[in-house]
Amino acid sequence: MPSSKRLTGFAAALAAALMGGSTARAAVLLNIDLPKDSPVALLSAEHGDSSETARGGAMLLDLHAALSLRNSTQRRIHGVTLLITAQDVTPGGRGSVTITSLDVGPGEAFPVRIDLRLLRPLQASNNVPVQVGLDGVLFDDLSFYGLDKLGSRRNLTLSEFEARRDRKYFKSLLAEGGPQRLQQEMIESMAHSADRPSLDVQMVRGGRATNFEPEKQVQFAFLRLPDSPIEPMEGMARIAGNEARAPRLEVKNRSDRPIRYLELGWILHDRGGQEFLAGSVPAELSLAPGQKSPILENTTLKFPQHGGQPLAIESMTGFVSSVEFADGSVWIPSRADLGMPELQRVMAPSDEEQRLVQIYRKKGLKALIAELNRF
Amino acid sequence: MKHPSESQLALFAGGDLAGGWERWGVGRHVSRCAACQNEVSLLRAASAEVRALTAELPKDVNWNRLAAEMTGNIRVGLAAGEAIARFDKPVAPHRLRLGWNAALVLGCATVVFVAAFWMSLPQPQAEHLMTALKRIRTERIGRLVQRPAAAPDDAVVLEASASSIQVKENGRAMSLMNPHSDGVTVSVSMRGSAGVRYVDDTGQVTTNKVYYAEQ
Repeated sequence: MPSSKRLTGFAAALAAALMGGSTARAAVLLNIDLPKDSPVALLSAEHGDSSETARGGAMLLDLHAALSLRNSTQRRIHGVTLLITAQDVTPGGRGSVTITSLDVGPGEAFPVRIDLRLLRPLQASNNVPVQVGLDGVLFDDLSFYGLDKLGSRRNLTLSEFEARRDRKYFKSLLAEGGPQRLQQEMIESMAHSADRPSLDVQMVRGGRATNFEPEKQVQFAFLRLPDSPIEPMEGMARIAGNEARAPRLEVKNRSDRPIRYLELGWILHDRGGQEFLAGSVPAELSLAPGQKSPILENTTLKFPQHGGQPLAIESMTGFVSSVEFADGSVWIPSRADLGMPELQRVMAPSDEEQRLVQIYRKKGLKALIAELNRF
Repeated sequence: MKHPSESQLALFAGGDLAGGWERWGVGRHVSRCAACQNEVSLLRAASAEVRALTAELPKDVNWNRLAAEMTGNIRVGLAAGEAIARFDKPVAPHRLRLGWNAALVLGCATVVFVAAFWMSLPQPQAEHLMTALKRIRTERIGRLVQRPAAAPDDAVVLEASASSIQVKENGRAMSLMNPHSDGVTVSVSMRGSAGVRYVDDTGQVTTNKVYYAEQ
């Protein structure tokens, strides 16, 4: 990778808060660093209603930027991830903005919105540099460009495989049942999205029980997906009230190819009978065919009150949500797997399905069919 | 043998013991008891000393005037005591001059100030304050319900909700806001990332994520 060069840097002087008639002024420096051979080029960057506001003993910086990036290659771009860092605010953390389900041809442009909020102490330095870089670009031939600090290659590739799977599925519905069958599927997808429970979640590395409810070890139950290359053997996690932490699992490679990465989905059930997808347990490993391996994560998930009532986790279910083989190919659940009631209740639609549903909602069935026929 | 009392011996020594039978009895005992004889001797010697001292007082002392002065001093003392007693009595409470209207205005201003302060607090600090208040409440009622903090102050915390995702560290935070509220999907990876996905009106799918530094 050639050394990066700062292509564009600009400062947005932001209006400050008016507190008691006094005005404070500071600046957010948004520096966009794109490599010299970047497959995307910055066409423009606009700041809307960015602002800086003093609140209590802290300063809130709201940065709203609309970037326009152009595909400067001769290949079609299907996904982009931008890396965002603000070292002066959170030296221990960073963010990213990813655009998936793209199909941007050579020379074409596409927008990227960055809606960033920074909270910092009042006495901190006035200038807050925010770095925006390119972490990765995925092309239609599954080739990849980028530093891949955030695992963008894998994430974009998985998303692309899901997109291909779902387009193929919808096209088959269209071919077999006609527009009405496709329309029916769109309506069912929207209904599932509306019914799917969603919870706020807080995650702490290392973690410890933060409430006084007794902690207990709870065993995982597993959903067996017929063609999954990974078989979950056993697993447990520590549960205390609305907290789940330190999952420990054992998996076995039942395929004939070595595996280097996998993700297990983690479904939680509360005492009220509700269930929701808590998160995923990923693991980078080297798993030969037939080999077993433990997966350990020392992380705590905490779920705030749900509908005014504290969540009480009762049981858990795990399932294999993705696998990456040593040769770079991936496995994802099939549409038939996702049709299992246990998964259908909690799993979100893929990026591509959500995009296609939105096209159906906004532009109608004809536009959806035309979109499917583009691929 | 029963000895006379000290008062009997004192009266006997001064010749002031009234009853003849009693004076005879005490005298008879003293004549036989060496200890009481010694006591009577000491009392008579002391009495003689007092008389000698009395004789040394000025001869022209006006006892009537002295008595009048003493009486006057006693009256002055009594009057001063009464004055101090009045000063120490609780004063009848004055009626508050602050009218109900002023109290109402003050109360409303307080409510407005507290509400404005609360609404202007950033979410993390509001949560911290609320946690502290809850802790005070639980400690006051003597029943521990919930521990206050979700994590040590120096821990990196990821939070995900339908409106935003956030990475917090040492009272500082970086959030990626979600401009759309429909079709939002929240995801968490135990490896150290939290994300929110949304689809805008054009159908473009955007996923915002925050990460721990080591990822």
